[in-house]
Amino acid sequence: MTLFLLVAVPLVFGALCLVLPTSPLRMAALVAGAWAHLAVVIRSWPSVETPLRDDFLGLDPLGHLFLTLISALFAATSVYFVGYHRKRLISQRVFQACILALLSALSLLCISQHLGLLWVALESASLAVTPLIYFRLGPRALEATWKFLLMNSVGVALALLGIFCVAIATTCQRNPVALTIADLVRNAAQLDRTWLRVGFLLGLVGFGTKMGLAPLHSWKPDAYGEAPPPVAALMAGGMTLGAFAGLLRMFQVCAAAGLSAFAGSWLIVFGLISIGTAAVFIVGNNDYRRILAYTSVEHMGVLVVGVGLGSAGSYASMLHAMHNMLNKGAMFFLAGFIWRIYESNEIRAVRGTLIRSPLAGVLLLAALCATCGLPPFGMFFSELGIVLAAAQTGRWWVLGIFVLTLAVVFVGVMTALLPMVFGDLPENSSVSEAELPSHRWRRWTMLGAATALLALGFGLGAYQPHAVRDALARAADSVCRPQAEFVTLARTAEVQP
Amino acid sequence: MSAQFITDAVLVLVILLNLGMLASSRLATGVKLFALQSLLLAFLPLAEEVLEGQSPGLHAFIIGAGTLALKVVLIPYILLRIIRTGEVHREVEPFIGFTASVFVGALLVIGSFAVAMRLPLPMVPVSKLIVPVALSTLLLGMLTLVSRLKAITQVIGFLVLENGVFILGLLLLKQTPLLVELGILLDLFVGVFLMAIVVYHIRREFDHMDTHLLDALKES
Repeated sequence: MTLFLLVAVPLVFGALCLVLPTSPLRMAALVAGAWAHLAVVIRSWPSVETPLRDDFLGLDPLGHLFLTLISALFAATSVYFVGYHRKRLISQRVFQACILALLSALSLLCISQHLGLLWVALESASLAVTPLIYFRLGPRALEATWKFLLMNSVGVALALLGIFCVAIATTCQRNPVALTIADLVRNAAQLDRTWLRVGFLLGLVGFGTKMGLAPLHSWKPDAYGEAPPPVAALMAGGMTLGAFAGLLRMFQVCAAAGLSAFAGSWLIVFGLISIGTAAVFIVGNNDYRRILAYTSVEHMGVLVVGVGLGSAGSYASMLHAMHNMLNKGAMFFLAGFIWRIYESNEIRAVRGTLIRSPLAGVLLLAALCATCGLPPFGMFFSELGIVLAAAQTGRWWVLGIFVLTLAVVFVGVMTALLPMVFGDLPENSSVSEAELPSHRWRRWTMLGAATALLALGFGLGAYQPHAVRDALARAADSVCRPQAEFVTLARTAEVQP
Repeated sequence: MSAQFITDAVLVLVILLNLGMLASSRLATGVKLFALQSLLLAFLPLAEEVLEGQSPGLHAFIIGAGTLALKVVLIPYILLRIIRTGEVHREVEPFIGFTASVFVGALLVIGSFAVAMRLPLPMVPVSKLIVPVALSTLLLGMLTLVSRLKAITQVIGFLVLENGVFILGLLLLKQTPLLVELGILLDLFVGVFLMAIVVYHIRREFDHMDTHLLDALKES
């Protein structure tokens, strides 16, 4: 029932958005849909049902964690969007319906235990987000949309090929294996190794395109730079998590089949290339939203490096996924706010946020520190965890490249974006629409949503409740030791009836 | 003629059609060749069960019919309509010339046969050609995608790539649930539909369909 609600609730509210007559009502439906979804998700904790081998849908620790993160991000974004939107935008109905359809598709992705179903959900998510990128119309948005659509379509086609290869790997057995994670993991020892490797590599390329791992990231700066900032927040914090979940499912199967060393080293290679690429392109960039997109490439790289490093790294990676969601959400919310005030994407044109809007300036400074992984923000701990994991496993070259490239990113982001916080106001700055007194509530809503996410990031970095730690640890455990997880689960399931 | 022979013949034809698409400069011809290729592929799901001497099941029928409806009728119709209403009918000055791209394509086909030799299938396939043909269709689709400028040709390239994935999926008909297969087909259709809309907008915005003019977004 919960599983059904998770997919259906956003769809119902999305349909409502399409039919409701006035703008405030539609806005209310968007917010209500996102928060109702969050309520369903919160009610589903702690999960007791375990996915069995024939279940297509189910809440396993990994999917449950990602589902919660995505739902929280959508709830915050729906509030932010109330302040962000302007009435003169046409096709608002389609926009809101697409946001809720995206939420529904991502929920389906998180709860699907069947690889084929997971693919369908992922492709639906990327189709739902395409109209959102083109929302601002015009040639630049068109170019971004075209690149996104084409690269992602090819990427997901390769991911499907990878899933087919995993399916071929199961055919050497006499009794048929369903393509569910539980069943694949249980029969992992008998899978055909060669095809499993081919499948994982294709899956890595396919899901990697969707996550934005270098060298397949080229759609990312364009899409994040041209899409409305709340949409960029949803993509950077939510959709990438969905693609990461797909990649982790493939990794689970490989780990269960004893291929974790092979799969892990490929993850590390792709991850380090991503962080390095981000470092190269951040330095000297003059568009703050594109810089944020490159930091997203960097953080995706950190995520996969962590998983590649084994169990300690996987825990750090799950922690990083959580803080990546909080941080990217807050960062793009603030980028949208600044864009509303300065009406420019260029760093050169944005100076002295601290003077013009003190609260936004302080928040931006905090968000910058969080992005770069300064304590006490959570990303410090997750990146430190990955460094420690690399040291524990004795991979000194990984550690070296990781620290070096992160340092370059740190310097690049800080030198580029700090002048936006400090500095003098540009001389010929006119008062923008968003700064009018009548728009005060809009400013408060936008900054409120950003504050909430940042405060959560700060709080969970400084103090981690037991429940959160437990959820992260269980998710990490199910990634790198899927067999143990499913065996114990199966045992409890047998005892209960 | 045995069903085995027919399956092999169809797969060889599929490769030839791929090379034909690489050689043709007219956009409409490309779309028609793609439709022909999909028509051939739509009957392959039935082959396996016929080979085993059974009458084809409902599952295979639905997949075949869905492919027929989408890839042979609906998608080519949409693409041909876009081409007909526009002024551009030919691919001009691709990154790789027509003759050269056929040559590269032939090399890719040889390469994919060589790779497929090293990937022994764990089960007995319908036809031994399935893996190499799937790989070469995929690679040729990708070649079309990266070497041509017109948005429509890039869409065709993506569709050919998708056909390659479909061919590999023929090995797995019994394993993939019908619901998932239908989801895949539906997603493909919506994807192409969105692409068609974007192509339409590109033409309205830039007065043509060249994607090399889409280069405003890059690092300054």
